[in-house]
Amino acid sequence: MNPRPRGTTAGAPFARLLEMLRPDLVRFAFWLARDRAVAEDVVQETLIRAWKSREELKDQAAARPWLFTIIRREHARLYERKRLPTVDVETVEALGDPALASDGDAGLEDLRRAIMQLPDEYREPLVMQVLGGFTTGEIAADLGLTQAAVLTRLFRARNRLRVIYGLEPAENAE
Amino acid sequence: MSNDCAHARIAIGGEPHALPTEVTAHLATCAACRQFHAETLSLDGRLRAALELPLSNFRKAAPAPARRFAMAASVALALLVGGSFWLFRPQTALADEVVDHVRHESGSWSAHEVLSATELAGVLRQAGVTFDASMPVVYAMACPFHGRLVPHLVVQTASGPMTVMLLAHEKVSERQEFSEGGFQGVLLPAGEGSVAVLMQNARVPDAVAAQVLSQVRW
Repeated sequence: MNPRPRGTTAGAPFARLLEMLRPDLVRFAFWLARDRAVAEDVVQETLIRAWKSREELKDQAAARPWLFTIIRREHARLYERKRLPTVDVETVEALGDPALASDGDAGLEDLRRAIMQLPDEYREPLVMQVLGGFTTGEIAADLGLTQAAVLTRLFRARNRLRVIYGLEPAENAE
Repeated sequence: MSNDCAHARIAIGGEPHALPTEVTAHLATCAACRQFHAETLSLDGRLRAALELPLSNFRKAAPAPARRFAMAASVALALLVGGSFWLFRPQTALADEVVDHVRHESGSWSAHEVLSATELAGVLRQAGVTFDASMPVVYAMACPFHGRLVPHLVVQTASGPMTVMLLAHEKVSERQEFSEGGFQGVLLPAGEGSVAVLMQNARVPDAVAAQVLSQVRW
């Protein structure tokens, strides 16, 4: 019998791992879907799928990107399956989703709204990098892009957010 | 802007925490790109804070449908318990952001050369702050923080580098000690603002914190 490799995911440790990572999974799903109910559904499906496939995760250190990738796939699958309408960011703004609220920090709320308004192709790699800790190489592999294309998208995303943050944008960004 | 600067800005904007060696070399010779890099690191700290939404508006943990997958229910229960700990942990938002900012500007700790009074004064002037530094300041940058420029200083001490952030517009009602991510520090009320003093893996001595505070005027 082969011994279980170090870091492999038995049931209880795996549940603890999911518990630890859940906050960022919820956030990542929200930033992808821009809708709380959809994000909660995506996380629910992700946890079930991850539990079923937990033997595939050989190294706990890789759990975060592994789970984020499942989130991305579940998000895409949910839209395919249910044919959900895409969320109009103007509507989201008008609703003033409380998920974007910040305790008296108006600047943070402004930044959240600005992130919401980034086009999907800029927002997704940015959230993967900043929240998920993905390298540009990993983002490129996950999104099926070249690394140069990912760098450009990340640069443009940050450049748009610089203005909201009160900084001068870089020249020739678009 | 030169081609080198344009190349550096794209690299910085694309992955500010992992720059190619040629961009790092360029930063050593280009103050404008160095400032752009510092601003981007600061923006990233803020960006991370923005992405880390409070979860109080989300379901704490969705109960897994028992008919579909009984085992998942135990996972959901574990998440509910763990999520509760997470949701009700102590909130020290300003300290979190200061630590995040400092962590993203980790290069500041490797500075050893004491800055001239003129260099330091230039940074303080940008932020409209007076700091009569009797300590050896080895790093000074006017960093964007909550939409304003704040002096981010590093002082070399016998216990290692000590970061001081002069937060003229961040009022705190009382002294707050914090310890997170390997940093120990203190937020000190200073009139309409506050001063953050922190060190890595070492407690900031009270006398040193008091000395820093006595040297600040808004």
